[in-house]
Amino acid sequence: MTLFAVFASVVFGAMAKDTTQERLLYGLKVFAEFMVIGLVLGWILYFIP
Amino acid sequence: MVKTERMQAEEAEPAPGFAWLTGAAAWFFPGLGHILQGRLGRAALMGGAVWVCFFVGMAMGGHLFDLASEGSSALLQVPPMIANLGSGALYLVSWLLDYGFKDDPAQAARATYEYGNTFLLIAGLLNYLTMLDAFDIAAGRKP
Repeated sequence: MTLFAVFASVVFGAMAKDTTQERLLYGLKVFAEFMVIGLVLGWILYFIP
Repeated sequence: MVKTERMQAEEAEPAPGFAWLTGAAAWFFPGLGHILQGRLGRAALMGGAVWVCFFVGMAMGGHLFDLASEGSSALLQVPPMIANLGSGALYLVSWLLDYGFKDDPAQAARATYEYGNTFLLIAGLLNYLTMLDAFDIAAGRKP
């Protein structure tokens, strides 16, 4: 999941925004969102039989 | 430039032939679209992500989709096949070598099989985004 989040956020970050700093911040934000949502969904599904 | 002005500018200037060529090259060989425009950093990041994603998917024992199934199940193969097809030459070479397309129960039993499938699908979808980015840059719609 982490590896997937890295690849996806690299491409999303490189595509979006105008400056390098904005791209870096956006990439980090997307990475964090992938990780947090993945972990939250994982725990929710863990409790669903 | 606001969105409406940008849309008007796009309508006035159709994409040049080079942009279409760049888009096709970007699809066929992940990263090539940006390389042709001298954007090597972008090519390494975006194209590299696609290549690594594809090979990680293959190493995990992922399965590539084609229309080999018969009947209605062939239709179900179309969406993942479109995603896989985004990998361009990587998909075509695998198809020519018949590597990764077989329905092997031993391969499907691997713990990483589904992860591999997902990585292969994502590699193709990310390359579609990379291709569109290269096209937009070549068409002058993006700095």
